[in-house]
Amino acid sequence: MPPTETKPLVWKDELWEDLCRTTNAAACFQCGSCTATCPLAEKGQLNVRQVMRLGAFGDGGSDLGAGAPGLWACTTCAQCNVGCPRGVDIVGVIRHLRARGWKRNEVPPGLRPLLWAEFQDGNPYRLPPSQRTAWMRGLADSAKGSSDGATTVLYVGCTASYDPRAQRTARAIARVLTAAEVPFRLLGDKEVCCGETPRALGVDGLFRELSRRNAETLSQVGATRVVTVSPHCFDALKAGLGADVEVMHYSQLLDELLSGGKLKVSGYRPGVLTYHDPCYLGRQHGVYEPPRRLLEAAGAKLVEMPRSRRWALCCGGGGGNMWRESDAEGRLADLRVAEARETGASALATACPFCVTCFAGAQGPSHYEIVDVAEVVARAAGVPA
Amino acid sequence: MTAPGAVWVYAERHGRAFRPVSLEILGHARSVADALGTALVALTIGPGEGPARELARYGADDVVVVDHPLLTRYDTKLFTELLEQELRPAAPSVLLLGATRDGQDLAGRLAVRLRTGLTAHVTSLEVNSEKQLVGWVPGFGGGIEAGVVCPHHRPAIVTVRPGVFPTPTPSSGPTGTVRLVHPALDSTAFGSRRVAYDPKGTTVDLTRSDVLVVGGRGTDGEFGRLQKLAHLIGAEVGATRVATDAGWVERERMIGQTGVVTHPKVAVILGASGAVQFTVGIEKAGFVIAVNRDPDAPIFESADLGIVGDLGPIVDRLVEQLGEA
Amino acid sequence: MRIVVCLKVVPRPEEVRVNLEAKTLERSGVRSVINPADLNALETALALRDRHGGRVIVLSMGPPNFEPYLRVAIAVGADEAVLLSDRAFGGADTLATSYTLAQGVGAVGDVDLVLCGDESSDGGTSQVPQGLAEWLGMSQATYVDQLEVTKDGALRARRVLEDGSETLEVPLPAVVSVLGGANEVRFIDYDRWAMAQAASVRVIDSAALAADPAFLGLKGSPTVVAGLREVRKPGRRREVVALEPEVAATRLAEELRRLGVSHG
Repeated sequence: MPPTETKPLVWKDELWEDLCRTTNAAACFQCGSCTATCPLAEKGQLNVRQVMRLGAFGDGGSDLGAGAPGLWACTTCAQCNVGCPRGVDIVGVIRHLRARGWKRNEVPPGLRPLLWAEFQDGNPYRLPPSQRTAWMRGLADSAKGSSDGATTVLYVGCTASYDPRAQRTARAIARVLTAAEVPFRLLGDKEVCCGETPRALGVDGLFRELSRRNAETLSQVGATRVVTVSPHCFDALKAGLGADVEVMHYSQLLDELLSGGKLKVSGYRPGVLTYHDPCYLGRQHGVYEPPRRLLEAAGAKLVEMPRSRRWALCCGGGGGNMWRESDAEGRLADLRVAEARETGASALATACPFCVTCFAGAQGPSHYEIVDVAEVVARAAGVPA
Repeated sequence: MTAPGAVWVYAERHGRAFRPVSLEILGHARSVADALGTALVALTIGPGEGPARELARYGADDVVVVDHPLLTRYDTKLFTELLEQELRPAAPSVLLLGATRDGQDLAGRLAVRLRTGLTAHVTSLEVNSEKQLVGWVPGFGGGIEAGVVCPHHRPAIVTVRPGVFPTPTPSSGPTGTVRLVHPALDSTAFGSRRVAYDPKGTTVDLTRSDVLVVGGRGTDGEFGRLQKLAHLIGAEVGATRVATDAGWVERERMIGQTGVVTHPKVAVILGASGAVQFTVGIEKAGFVIAVNRDPDAPIFESADLGIVGDLGPIVDRLVEQLGEA
Repeated sequence: MRIVVCLKVVPRPEEVRVNLEAKTLERSGVRSVINPADLNALETALALRDRHGGRVIVLSMGPPNFEPYLRVAIAVGADEAVLLSDRAFGGADTLATSYTLAQGVGAVGDVDLVLCGDESSDGGTSQVPQGLAEWLGMSQATYVDQLEVTKDGALRARRVLEDGSETLEVPLPAVVSVLGGANEVRFIDYDRWAMAQAASVRVIDSAALAADPAFLGLKGSPTVVAGLREVRKPGRRREVVALEPEVAATRLAEELRRLGVSHG
């Protein structure tokens, strides 16, 4: 790391107190384990220890402002949280410091329009809510769920609603649930963004507003359980909805159906796969085995990458980075796909639309297959996408 | 002096020449004047008699030139006053201007100065059976058109977008008489002072291109054939993020949510998979053609015509065929 | 500086439906937003206020249901909001609209600068700012992407033109139309949200405005809409064929010819 200029650092009591009110930053003793474990530290893109220090001093000035690429490059993968010997919620501190950036109107370009899109259109793509149900094209009516007293909602999420690749995941899940005779319903164009990106960017007000809208819709349909396509929605809805709604990721539900005998998979052998643990499913919520069991039940032979489960290398998509441009050099997705190739597996499997998008766009010597767990299960269950 | 009730066209100067849109309007205005049974007058503000004679070759019965050496650039206050001075005594029925930036700047001010109606950005102009001028204007992102008339107030002012009317062919000699007006003015007559002028450099602007040829990962970096195709069909070359990341073309050519959002009439997408972060940059295109090796590529859902095949040989053959035509 | 920002609430383009017989637009159930370019104008105003101090007042002409949108503007940072609302203002074309807004600017009083978006997304004539300037007798600058106030209190505006840009100096007070997309609009400050919901929006009707009825609403509009037609393009055709290169090339050449782009 190049040495930073010596500038006087100003300790502002009220900013420090505010930080301590909303996070446990006071426990940090600047050991640097966070930087040591951060996937972005290697290429000098982010020095977490330094961000913690500047945040603690209360006014890092421009070092924490829009010109501070590190603070905004963070993908919120939470590897630092795992490595921290003091149990500091470092990702929480990052979010708090980002909130400070918004207060000062010092944020990198491209993020303000994103928030306006979320506020006005309920999704980050600036696409109309009326197009939110387009993912159902090609789905038999019987697989579109029903409103007859079903208390489980399949929460599609923005990416699976609007992105053609991710739409296949949504259709695969709908078909599998239908084949397993699980009653479910959809929110249609009343579904709005779960707010994961505003939350990760530190804009709590917008996150709470979006959560409120979804909570209202879920309450109107009498939902008691929500199953998500994306681990990000899983995390955001868990944080944003009240305690009366159970939130699950689809891999957890399908795994339950499998072990309960309600889901039959056979006749499809996807070969040797390596599974990537999405940060928002694995490390942050401890869901490691269900996706693996599903892949194995479908006939896959799994090999592990050296960095897996708690130590899985982030794809680079979280923390608002799906909507920003980063340097082509040293992208996390490129590193991860290279790791996957090194295992000798014929494809990289994962269970998150952000990961799929990032890996599919990775640079490499030749095309490497990226597969999605839901699609594998759907094929093995005889209901391909 | 022209009789009242004539059709007037404001010809916007652009250096020593006129903006193409002004000539396009003048060409069409002949038929409007004929349908209304009135004369056609072209008016311009700018220095020198030469351009005036040029203007007289485009079919107007009369040409009015407000000529002064200081009139080398547009100024709201001054031009509004000069136009008002010509229009009030002449009492035209219609005034047409090009919907250029300066044209709009002027038209909006003038309309209120004259307390009259203004229909802006028309994409078609016709005289109906009641001898009323109807201007069709787009709205709501182009989904709806409204036909606007100005029944009583005169002149009815209308601005017309470039490219709506065809380029007219000038006659070999002047068709109309030229009247020169020499206003007495000095620099205090200007309402603004220009402190800088920056002509546009030759940077890539994909938003202004009617046709785009876009390359993605499937091009394997061989943009040469795309450039050949683009050249043959008058297109600009765009790219997906994968292509610009790989350094195959400049970042300015990147289309998508974090790049350029385009609205061409035709887009030819070659070797791109069609992730939503890319397609938001071309979804406004009039007609989308996509070529991809993968029959399941999501791009086909965003295309009007999709061809599953190898883009290299396809583009090479296409270039041959177009080259021979 | 006292800066007025004119805001218009517009329906989202993809949601508008036309009632061809009544020659009106179906507005019920349609999502609306603050006209995007007006938000850019608001950002310009707030940035000027940040630098020079003063007050930013948002002004709109419309029905009472425009109020929530004005409150969003306050949450973003505007200091106060004024809504000109009266049936008499309805059906206005640009002459009547610019006249009414000009009266509104007069009611706000002591205004140094009026900013508007250059065009509204729902049938943008982009004429209101110029009309406003003429009614108010103020100088104007249109299609501006950069604005600054000089040390001597003059306005420097960079206008974006077809072949480049020009920077003009005009005296204050002035009306400026800000180019859509000229800047990144700061987002809502949620710490201001509650205050914005509780803020009182000053509503002015035609009696309070003391305006000349000859220039108000439908009666004050020289232009009239005589007809409406939908030109919505259908969704993508999604015709997909697998072809050998030679056949594919022929098909593409035909299609390009049909589209009128087969020669450069």
